[in-house]
Amino acid sequence: MIQLSNVSKIYPPNAAALKGISLQIEKGECVFVTGPSGAGKTTLLKLLCREEEPSEGEISINGKNLIRLNSRGIARLRQQMGLLFQEFKFLPHMTALDNVALAGLVVGAPRGASYNKAYHLLREMGLEKKYNVKPLALSGGEQQRVAIARALMNDPIIVLADEPTENLDAELADETMRLFLESRERGTTIIVASHDLDFSQRYRTRVISLHEGYLVDDSKLASKEGRTG
Amino acid sequence: MKISQLGLVGRRVCSSLRARLWTHALVAGTMAIVLFVFGAFLLAQENLQNLLKKWGDQIQINAYLDKDLDAAEVSLLRHKIQNFSEVERVRHISRQQAWKDFQVALGAQSNVLEGLPEDVLPASFEIFIKPAYRDGPIVEAFANRLRKEKGLTSVEYPQEWVNRLSLMVLALQWAMWVLAGILFVAVFFIVRSTVRLAILAQKDEIEVMQWIGAPEELIQAPFVVEGMIQGFIGAGLSVLGLWFFLRFLRDQTPTLIGLFGSLDHLQFIDWGSIALILAMGSLLGASGSVFSLRRFMRTWRG
Repeated sequence: MIQLSNVSKIYPPNAAALKGISLQIEKGECVFVTGPSGAGKTTLLKLLCREEEPSEGEISINGKNLIRLNSRGIARLRQQMGLLFQEFKFLPHMTALDNVALAGLVVGAPRGASYNKAYHLLREMGLEKKYNVKPLALSGGEQQRVAIARALMNDPIIVLADEPTENLDAELADETMRLFLESRERGTTIIVASHDLDFSQRYRTRVISLHEGYLVDDSKLASKEGRTG
Repeated sequence: MKISQLGLVGRRVCSSLRARLWTHALVAGTMAIVLFVFGAFLLAQENLQNLLKKWGDQIQINAYLDKDLDAAEVSLLRHKIQNFSEVERVRHISRQQAWKDFQVALGAQSNVLEGLPEDVLPASFEIFIKPAYRDGPIVEAFANRLRKEKGLTSVEYPQEWVNRLSLMVLALQWAMWVLAGILFVAVFFIVRSTVRLAILAQKDEIEVMQWIGAPEELIQAPFVVEGMIQGFIGAGLSVLGLWFFLRFLRDQTPTLIGLFGSLDHLQFIDWGSIALILAMGSLLGASGSVFSLRRFMRTWRG
C-alpha cells in the first residue's frame, strides 16, 4: 500500500511543485495521474521512487517511510519497481537486449534467464528484429518500448510510468496498457502519469487530477462520496 | 554478491580498462615509480642486514701484544686466552706476518711503505668467538675482560662497527617508512583524482545503475577492482624495475672501495618483500577508489 500524508515539494528557490497531497493507493490498483503540464505529475512519481525527497509530509510504501531509506534501502525499493520516465536512461554502448537484461542482472538473476526474459519482453513489444540494436539507433517510440520492457523485467510490485504512451501509436499504446494491466493481475500496483484525460478514462481506472501542485480530483473519493451522498 | 553480478562486474571492469587504457596506464606508472622508491629502500635495508649478519658470523677480536713480551710469554698468554669459554680459537700474528698482510692489503699502493722498518706493526692475537657467544653485549664484556690482561696493549673488535651499522639500518628503516608515508599520501591523492575522472566519465552509467536498483556494492565493485588491478600492475612494474636496477648495479658498476667491497654480493629483495610491495600497490589502488566513490555516491544518490 502506498500512503502520502500532506506531501509538498518545493524546488529552490521557491517553486512549489506539489502542495499538501494526501492519498492512499492500494495494492494491485491502477491509478492514472492526470493534469496539465506543470501540475506536478512527474514530481509525484519521482517522490514515489525516491528520486526526490518531499519538502514536507511523509510517503510510505508497505509501511516503510521513504525518507528514512538509506542507499541500500533505495536500491531495494527500485528493484521492486518498474520505472518508465520520459528520460529513458539507457546505457548507449549496450544493445536494447543488454539494457533490458541488465535490470535482471543487477538484482542477481542468472544471466541466461535474464537474457531469455529480456528477449521475450522485447518480442512482446514488437522489437524482435531490433533487440541487437543500440538504443540511440532506435526511434523515440522504439526506445519507449525498450524502456517498457525494462520496467517489466523484474515483475515489479509497483510500476511508475510517466507518459508511457506518448511516443506510441494507438495500437501500441493499447498493447502497452494491456501489458501493464496484465501485471496488475499479479498484484502489481500501476501508477501512470498522463496529460491525456481521454486516454486515462478509456481504461476505467482510478483517476487522480492534479492542478498547479494541488490534488483537485480523485475519482475513487468521488465515487465513494457519490455512493454515500 | 551472486555469480551473475560477479560476471557483470568483470565485464564492466574489462570494458572500462579497454575504454580508458591510457588513464589506467598513467596511474599504474605513477604507482610503479613510487613503489620503486619504496622498494629501493627495502633493497638497501635487506642488503645492509645481510651484511650485518655476515659480519656477525665472522666476529673476531684483535688483541695487540706488548712489544716487550718474549716468545714464552706470548705462548703462555695465548694458551690462557684459548682456555676462555667464549673462545673458539686463537691465531697469533707476528710483527712480520702483520707487515706482510698489510702489504697485501695495500696491493699496488704497497710502495708507500718503502723505508719503514718491518717491525713497525705490533704483533697480535686474532681471537675467534664461539657462535653461542657472538652476541653484542657478551663480546663487549669479554673484550673488557681481555683489556685487563697483562701483556695486551689494546683490544679491538668489530662489534662497534656492527653497532654503528645497526643504527644506520634502523635510521634507514625509519627513513623508508616516513618516505613511504609521504609518497603514499601523494599517490593516494593522484589515484583518487584519477578515479574521480573515471567516475565522471561513467557518471551516466552509474546513474542508470542506480535507477534500475543496482546495489551500491555492485556499482562500486568495478572501480575498486580497477584500482586494485592498477595498483598490482604498478607494483609488479616497480619490482621488475628494481630487478633491472640491481642487475645494472651488479653488471655496470665497477668494484667500489668501501662498505660493500663489490656490488656483486648485492641480493634482490626476498619473496616476502615482493609480496609486501604487491599488496601495498593493490591496497593503495583500491583505497583510492573507495574514498572517491564514497563521496560521489553520496552526492548522486537521490
